[in-house]
Order: sequence, then C-alpha cells, then structure tokens
Amino acid sequence: MTTCTQCEFFNIIPKEADDYEPSKGDCVTEKVDEKGAYWLSKPVSETADACASFHKR
Amino acid sequence: MTANTLNYRGKVLNFTPENPAEANIPADELHEHLQNPSTERTRRLKARCRWKHASAGEFVEKGVQAGIERMRLLTESHKSTVGQPEVIRRALMLKHLLDNATLVLQPDEFIVGYHAEDPNMFPLYPELSYMAVLDYLKTDYAPQPAAEAAAIVDYWKPYSLQSKCERYFDPIDLQRGYQVSTMEGPVFASGYNSVVPPYETVLEDGLLARIKLAESHIKHARSEMETFPWNATTGLPWIEKIDNWEAMIIASKAVIAWARRHARMCKIVAERFETNSKRRAELLEIADICHRMPAEPAKGLKDAVQSKWFTFLIAHALERYASGFAHKEDSLLWPYYKASVVAKSHQPMTHQQVVELMEMERLKISEHGAGKSRAYREIFPGSNDLFIVTIGGTNGDASDACNDMTDAILESAKRIRTTEPSLVFRYNKINRASTLRWVFECIRDGLGYPSIKNDELGVAQMLEYAKYSKTGNGATPEEARYWVNVLCMSPGLAGRRKTQKTRSEGGSAIFPAKLLEITLNNGYDWSYADMQMGPETGYAVDFKTFDQLWEAFRKQYQYTIALAIRCKDVSRTMEIKYLQMPFVSTLDDGCMELGMDANELSEQPNGWHNPITTIVAGNSLVAIKKLIYDEKKYTMVQLMTALKANWEGHEQMRQDFKNAPKWGNDDPAADDLISKYYEEILGGEMGRNINYSGGPVLPVGQAVGLYMEVGSRTGPTPDGRLGGEAADDGGISPYMGTDKKGPTAVLRSVSKVQKNQKANLLNQRLSVPIMRSKHGFDIWHAYMDTWCDLKIDHVQFNVVSTDELKAAQREPEKHHDLIVRVSGYSARFVDIPTYGQNTIIARHEQDFSANDLEFLNVDL
Repeated sequence: MTTCTQCEFFNIIPKEADDYEPSKGDCVTEKVDEKGAYWLSKPVSETADACASFHKR
Repeated sequence: MTANTLNYRGKVLNFTPENPAEANIPADELHEHLQNPSTERTRRLKARCRWKHASAGEFVEKGVQAGIERMRLLTESHKSTVGQPEVIRRALMLKHLLDNATLVLQPDEFIVGYHAEDPNMFPLYPELSYMAVLDYLKTDYAPQPAAEAAAIVDYWKPYSLQSKCERYFDPIDLQRGYQVSTMEGPVFASGYNSVVPPYETVLEDGLLARIKLAESHIKHARSEMETFPWNATTGLPWIEKIDNWEAMIIASKAVIAWARRHARMCKIVAERFETNSKRRAELLEIADICHRMPAEPAKGLKDAVQSKWFTFLIAHALERYASGFAHKEDSLLWPYYKASVVAKSHQPMTHQQVVELMEMERLKISEHGAGKSRAYREIFPGSNDLFIVTIGGTNGDASDACNDMTDAILESAKRIRTTEPSLVFRYNKINRASTLRWVFECIRDGLGYPSIKNDELGVAQMLEYAKYSKTGNGATPEEARYWVNVLCMSPGLAGRRKTQKTRSEGGSAIFPAKLLEITLNNGYDWSYADMQMGPETGYAVDFKTFDQLWEAFRKQYQYTIALAIRCKDVSRTMEIKYLQMPFVSTLDDGCMELGMDANELSEQPNGWHNPITTIVAGNSLVAIKKLIYDEKKYTMVQLMTALKANWEGHEQMRQDFKNAPKWGNDDPAADDLISKYYEEILGGEMGRNINYSGGPVLPVGQAVGLYMEVGSRTGPTPDGRLGGEAADDGGISPYMGTDKKGPTAVLRSVSKVQKNQKANLLNQRLSVPIMRSKHGFDIWHAYMDTWCDLKIDHVQFNVVSTDELKAAQREPEKHHDLIVRVSGYSARFVDIPTYGQNTIIARHEQDFSANDLEFLNVDL
C-alpha cells in the first residue's frame, strides 16, 4: 500500500517547527481552475494512505 | 442634463473636461476608461480576481461555495474539549483549526493567507446562527459532503448563540423580530458581527511579547492566590483571569504556528516547484516575512501589511465571523512607510511600490468571501461584505493626520478600481490640499468613496460617550482623535485598547417606514407579515389630532427599539459566556491587563442602532399633517382606503400626497417637523435605552441595501409611495428624486438635525461635467468646507451620468468597471439587481447653480 511518505507532494515538518509532530508533514499540491493555478497545503501523516493526487517522488 | 456653461460673478464658467482627452470618450462609457493599475502584476491580479460579490442573494462568480473545513474542525475540537473552561475551549478550537486548516497560496500575490480551504470557498459559523447555516444547506453553495454538513449543523443547534439567546424572549416578540419588517432580525439569529481589532498592538509588539506578558500575569496571579492568609474575596477572581490569560497564550501560539506554516509552504513551493527565478526569490522573501509576522514586531511596510492581514483573517473570519476592515490605515502604517520609503532602513521601497502593495491588498479583500445568510447577501447587493478603512482626520495633538501613506492608499484605490475596501475620509479643514485632491479624484472617478465623515464631530462624540465608561477609563482627548468607522457609518475608537469588539455593542437596524405603516393600523402589519407587530395603539381613522398619531408612532418605536436593543444585550451576555475571543483579547491592552475577554470588557461605550427607511416615514408624517389635519383636504378614512388599494383609483390623491413638502429642499414646511421627528423620536426615544456598556444607544441613520429589501416589504405610504417601492437610500438622504432645490438646499435641510444623533448617512449625486471640469475641485472643496461649517456628520457621492447607467443596463458585459455608491458601500453597477439599479438612476443629479456657488462662496 502506498503512503504519503512516498509522494512527491509530501514534505516532512522539521523538528524545530512550532507544529512539529513525529511523522507529520505538509502535503503541498497544485490545483488548477478557470482562473488559474494555486497551491494548497494541508497537514498529513506520512503513514496515511496515498490519495488520488499521489505522484511518486 | 447639465449645461456646459454658467454665469457666475460676472464670469462665464466653462465645464469642459479638465483632461481634454475625455472629450473624445463617449459619455456613456466613461468609467470603462478610468482604470489604470500601477503595474502589470496588479493588472493581472485584477483580471483573475476571485470576486465574491452577490446579487439578489446569488454569487455572481461561478464556482463560489461554502467550505466545510472550519465547521468540521470546530466540531471535532468542541467534542474533544468537554469539561474545560469555555474560554479555553474557544482557544483550543482556534488552535485545532489553525493547526489543521488547508492553506492557500496564489501565483503573483505578495500578501498571503486565506480563510477557507480553497480560494473559491468561504467558511461557515454553526456556533453563531443555526438558521444562517441551514439556509446554505438548501442551496447550490452548500458545503460538501452535504450529509456531514447537516450533521454538524444539528450538533451545533443547542450550543449555538441563537439557541442560547432565544429562550429569554417571548415567542411572540421573537416572531416579530424574525419578520424583518419593523426591525432587523435579532443579532443572535444572523451571526452578523463587527469588530475593531487592535492592529496597533500586534504590529508594535508582536505576539511573542504578548505571550510573555500573559505568562507574567499568570505567574503573578498564582502567586497572589498562594499567599497567606487566603482571602476568597480577592483570591477567587484570579481564577477567571488565569483562564483568560491561558486562553490568550494558546491562541497566540496557534496563530504564530499557523503563520509559520505559510512560511513553510512558500519555501516548499519556491525550492521545489517554482521555475521563475524572480518569483522564487520573492516567495523566499514572503517566507521570511511569514516566519517573523505576527510573532515579532513589524519593522518595514511589508512586515506590517502581512502582519495586519494575518490578524484580519483571524479576527474577522477564523476565530469568529465579523464584517468590516476597520482600522486607521494611514496612521497605522505610517511608521512602517517611513522606515521603508523615507529612511529605507527596513524593506526599502519606493512610493510607487507602496501603491502597488495597496492595490494588492484591495484585491485580497475583494476575494474575501463571507458566509452570510441569504438575507445578508441580499442587503449588500453587488458586494461581498462591508470592508471599510478610515483615513485622514487629525492626530492626537490635533495636527493634520494626512501623510504620504494616505495618498498611496487613495492613489491605489483610484488606479485599481475595486468596490472594496471602501474608504472613509475624516474631513477636517486643516487637511492638506494634496491629499484632498486625491480624495476628490477618487470621488469624481465615480468610486463612491471616500465617504466623508466630519472629523471634529467624531472626536466630540468619542469624548461624550467616554463619560459613560463603566471602568472610568473612557477615551482621553488624545485617544478620542484616533477613531474609525466601525462599519459603514458609526465612529468608534481604534488603537491598542477600548475598541468595539462586537456588534451587540452597536449595530443592527429599525425601520421607521414600516413602524408608521403599522401605527396607522393599530400595530398590525397588513401588507407583509400579516400579524400584530407591536402594541395596539389604535387605528389612525380614530385619531382626532396629529398629536395622537405622533404619540402612537412614538409607542410603536419605543416597543421595537427596546426589543432590538434587548436582543443585542442578551446576545452580548451569551457571547461573554460562550463566544470568547482569546486572540482579539490578547491584542487589547485592557483585556491583557485585567485578564478579561474582549466581549466582556467595556471601557468605551459605543452604543448605536440604525434607523433605515427614515425619510419615507418623515415625508409621510409631513403629508398627513398638512393634508389631513391642517388643510383637511382629505380624511384619514380616505387615506387609509387609498393606501389599502395601493393608490389604485386614487391617482389625484396620490399626486397631492406626493407633492406635499419633501425633505431636502430647505423648506420649513417639511424640515421643521422632520427635524423634530429625528431629534425627539428617533434619537430621543432611542437614547433612553442603556446598553451593556452603560451608555445610551443613539441613532446611526443609514441604509446599505436594506432600503431596497425593506422597501419591498413596506406597503404604500402617505408620502405618495407605492407599496413595495424602495425606500430612501440613506439615513438623512432626501427620497430619490425629491431634492429639487439644489445641493446647498440639501445641506441646509440636513444641518437642521443636530440633537440626539450619532451619525446620519447623506447620499448625494453630483454632476459629471461639473466635477470633471477644471472647476470641479474648487467647487467640491468649497462644498466640503461649507458642509463642515454646517456641522453635518457625513456625505458620500455618486458621480455618474444617467446615460452611462442606462447603457450599462442595456449591455452589462461592456460596463464591468462601472462602480456606484449604493449606501454605505460601493458596488459594481452591473452586479446590482435591476430593482436596485433603478433606485440609483432615480437619484437626482445635482447641478450647481449660481446661487449654490454663492452660498458656498467659491472663488473661480
């Protein structure tokens, strides 16, 4: 089973960050609509199952 | 149509355009030629702006939708924090939201941060009004998944502010409030709110310093509690304070972490995905700013704007919903302008780069969606919400507060042409001419702002309200000069302390036209609600004298205003218990010092309530008195018959009532009675009510779009108006098209109302050829000085031709940049429903005659 940790969009949160938790990362993805592209960032666990946007690192 | 020449003081004045190139622009498309963004970047940002305007309650842009994330995270937190003190739960709710919310970063933007999980979405607030959120579930904008959203609303119903308040009201009173015909719905039922965040504190101190302060207070409190001998009377009050300070710390740390999540996102995008080297460098700069702001004090202007933006998102959309963007922007940012532009010691910038930054801020605001109920989307047609920034006026030492930051804000507004944020300019006769010139150019470009407030009247008002301070710590003379419009019209303090934190202090509306209608019918609303809406004060057909009618009207007004204010104060009580604002409290020096929540602490009263549809009632009283009681041309039976028939079959009678003296023509036959009505009933009776803060509640006459919505619910009226027609478009504005004696006659009428008022909105439409001619600025300046000398509170302008408005109705796709002043806010004309558009076309376009110019004593 692929997990977030294997995804290109997953970025582990550094230890010095205020919101650091073990195995927590930022999932940073690009979305596109009629007005153009934009980035979204949300917290995920590295062990979470890969979602539909998964892109191998 | 205005003549192009005028004989005045022996000269022939020509009103040809000041800019000769305008002679070649067709008059019916002028506003499409006025936009001039300062850079290609802001031109691009405007072209792809994700507008959140609504028209007739529907969002204008495709794809706008309510988000579910805030609701979901709020609910998760609420379920997991049972048993904790309520204020701590509120802080933990904010933390959970900020730790887990999706962040948004758009290309080209420099100011970052958004309040929902997608830039096309906006958050909802089930903890406020369950009715407002339920409304969304039935629409195409419903948050998804729908089943989850419905479950969340069900969960919150018993905990919501609305449920908490309703039980303290007689069901009949509640029903009357929910009709929105005699009064705006109770504040706890709409969730609509306002706040003036202490931006000064966060920019000057940074949140880390506030955390340290709260920590030191807790240490002191614990030490006090542990002294021997124990004294409960002095020891126990520390408990609540400790909870408040701890909540402030939780909230502040959460905000810092959230801001730094933005820094991380910008860095990730820059280092891993961005291919443009210039944008990469810029993203890294933004990352640095977001890491430091708002944790640390701002040093340069970019720091200040980003810190302010993050604070705005929390105070207005994430911790709780609040309309507005209230702050004294030029004064707030001036120290950072000096650092960046003058001294160039931090984040060096040019003045033109500041203009670009302000254009970008305007576009961020334009994208800021508000999760308001349908009713509130309908009452601000053509806008997304009220965002009003105050500039100008005087400093604490009474010197001119206008500076180059003021000019940058004005220039950015003129160039980028957005409807939000609106600007309020505090006009004082000592304001520098160069800034007044910018104010004028924004107005003559038809932006509808700056709306102008009388600086000295605002200062005096702050000092007057200060006398009622519960803590004896109301505004000092210096603090009284640092006031802003809380929303569209009412002054309130800005700064580190004593600002208004909730709409239950001042806001919401009462509708005199409907009150007069029910006064004629024993308190019964026959034309809309079909129910008893007030006390049984008798039928007008039985009133032998005008005084009897006057007293019956007074009683209807007394009942409704007391109910409306009671709704606000009960709401306040529940906001104190359940809707604490630990982040906003962190920023307020009083809350920090005293360990109190921002809803609870009140150092500066600022009570007000908005009469809307005032002049329809005023003109009607004049017509009734003249035609029925004085001249006895008609009987009341005849009038009531005609009204119940919506004047059908009574056309001559209707014309007689329509032709009765009208407000706004400097005619004592109207003005004497209407002034008395303002001062004795609207203000006199309202002022007898004392609100939570211990001060009187006074009228702020205005309209926003409610003059359309409530007009549509108000039956035919004795001023000759048909049932369902729009009402008057401002607190003290003449009814559309009835001010026929010129602009200075309007000023003379309005100046007669002085007592028992907090504010009154005056809408005026000025002639395009006159304003755009070389004489325009001098005429306007003289007009404004006269307005100031007459001690008039407010004025705002439309400068747009009827030709252009009608062309926009025919071909809206060609008139996207046509902006008009509705009332208290501006809107794209093509985004306003036709019903509303027609009310703006109907407003009388004021020409300045030679007599007007003489009155203004203008030298041309």
